[in-house]
Amino acid sequence: MSILINKETKVLIQGITGKEGGKAAREMMNYGTKVLAGVSPGKGGEKTPEGIPVFNSVKEAIEKFPDINVSLIVVPPAFATSAVLEAIENGIPLINILTEKIPVFDVAKIIAFARKKNIKIVGPSSVGILVPEVVKIGSIGSSLIATKIFEQGFVGVVSKSGGMTAEISRVLTEAGLGQSTVVGIGGDQLIGCDFSDILLEFEKDPDTEVTVIFGEVGGTYEEQLAEKIKKGEIKKPVIALIAGQFTETLPEDSVLGHAGAIINKGRGSAQSKIRALKSAGTFIAETPEEIPDIIKKILK
Amino acid sequence: MKLLEYQGKELFRKYGIKTPESELVQSDTKSLNLNAPFVLKVQIPSGNRKKIGGIVFVENHKDFNEIKNSLFEKSFDGQKAGILLAEEKIENEKEIYLSFSYSTDFRAPVLAISEDGGTGIDKAEIFPIDLSIEMQNSFIENALQKIGLEFNENLIKIIFSLWNLFITEKALLAEINPLFETKDGEFIAGDAKVILDDSVVDPKSKPFLDLNGDIAVIASGGGASLLNLDALIKNGGKPANYVEYSGNPSADTVKELTKKVLSRPNLKGCWVVGGTANFTDIYETMLGFVEGLKEINPKPNYPIVIRRDGPRQKEAFEMLKKEGKEYGFDFHLFGPKTSMAESAEIVVELAYKNL
Repeated sequence: MSILINKETKVLIQGITGKEGGKAAREMMNYGTKVLAGVSPGKGGEKTPEGIPVFNSVKEAIEKFPDINVSLIVVPPAFATSAVLEAIENGIPLINILTEKIPVFDVAKIIAFARKKNIKIVGPSSVGILVPEVVKIGSIGSSLIATKIFEQGFVGVVSKSGGMTAEISRVLTEAGLGQSTVVGIGGDQLIGCDFSDILLEFEKDPDTEVTVIFGEVGGTYEEQLAEKIKKGEIKKPVIALIAGQFTETLPEDSVLGHAGAIINKGRGSAQSKIRALKSAGTFIAETPEEIPDIIKKILK
Repeated sequence: MKLLEYQGKELFRKYGIKTPESELVQSDTKSLNLNAPFVLKVQIPSGNRKKIGGIVFVENHKDFNEIKNSLFEKSFDGQKAGILLAEEKIENEKEIYLSFSYSTDFRAPVLAISEDGGTGIDKAEIFPIDLSIEMQNSFIENALQKIGLEFNENLIKIIFSLWNLFITEKALLAEINPLFETKDGEFIAGDAKVILDDSVVDPKSKPFLDLNGDIAVIASGGGASLLNLDALIKNGGKPANYVEYSGNPSADTVKELTKKVLSRPNLKGCWVVGGTANFTDIYETMLGFVEGLKEINPKPNYPIVIRRDGPRQKEAFEMLKKEGKEYGFDFHLFGPKTSMAESAEIVVELAYKNL
């Protein structure tokens, strides 16, 4: 078992004829992912070098392949928002956005429309989702080296940082601890699924026994997770690695000034996240290398 | 990108929000046409200018030059003002706080509003906005009602104008604090704080912070780079900078970054660090690093610790060994067997061992 994706996952790639889109398609297929179709306006009717049919619109792709249940967005920032809204409009239940630097306003709009239609968004700036040895979407675990660092197991991994999904998984695998699903949620100010959303999925997954999260200074997603754990909505043990404590030593950043104080209410720093998570009973790791020892102690 | 007050107020006027009568003051400005008394405000991107003496009332025109000169001489929070804003003094009945920004709790834009605006405000009512529908007058009316402000068409108009500015300019923050209400029922923006979205204004921008230490850091991966600076500081290292490249940058990008980071004097070490890359071409990025390194003058003779893993790591390290030998760089190369945290310890030890 896994969360979000599995071997029945059937993928549409929006932006498949671009350099990044093509690369993602090839590597996903190599990993065993079923990529059914691509969308690239103006290139409908063509086929990619791998033989994947390309359509002008999501609607056309879905008509031909009604089994599609995930869309991967690998479209430049200027066109990403309309691409995602098109996928939402057509009711694709899970949309994974790899595109970086989408304006916050556009992300907020995407989230608002997805909420209405009960559609899950992972990203933007997501590295993708990977179920070891089964399926992956996005650029997570590209190339031969990286595909070797993920192994099947019972640890769920969620990270704001794409790079740290690989780093944490490598450390786990080397310690004999495989992963159930690895999810890059992206580090943007606004994101679709946050730590809580993903951990609630892991809560329902019988193959996940413990989860690892990688958080960073900024936003309040870690503090919100701490609240959910305190309320008992998330019961499986959580190990957290939180980066950016050094920013506390910088001259006080008054970027948001009054609004920051009003909206964030003292939350957002790495220290605030660590405090909140500790008080909720989460285990705090200082380095990736400490994580396996903590897990082994918990499960003893 | 943070706008200065006067730039924010230019935007306000464009969207129909009234601001006080004003003039811009340069260091060579001799006199003003504004009626006294007026206020002089230093134009720096700082939140509490009043507290640090950057806002001064001028009662008489004859005091103008002296006050102006002192404001240009002083430094505020470590910054000097390049320009001042002179504004008429507003006699007001009320100071309201008003802003639009984004909340990670609601994952949506929010209106924050309070009757008790002015310096030191840290509480306001927050109203999340649903972007799947058009902004309605009724939303603003409800918000005003909730905080106990009576229905006021002028105020509703101002809030709508600020909202239009916020979404049209793709701002991350549009704040008026205080918003003066005069006894004639007019609303005038006393201050302006506008932050524009860098991914719109300057999509190529990379985070860079000057940290004034002596170990240059070239870190890859947003998350890993933060984690690594934490580790460096915990081990007693003083980072010279914070910089980060993610994605799969070209050799040229890394070359320019290397030159920028290593061009500062008095460095004792350099740390190139990243986790196990998902898709970054390690060979390409290390090639860019070496190219940049060759252009640093004088030639760096301090230890350079490199910890990298990912696609084409082996080829990259072979190239580094060869180049290091040929050009005499003090490279210390580590793959995934050495953790990022261990490599922090190593660079600190090597950089400071001769002290």
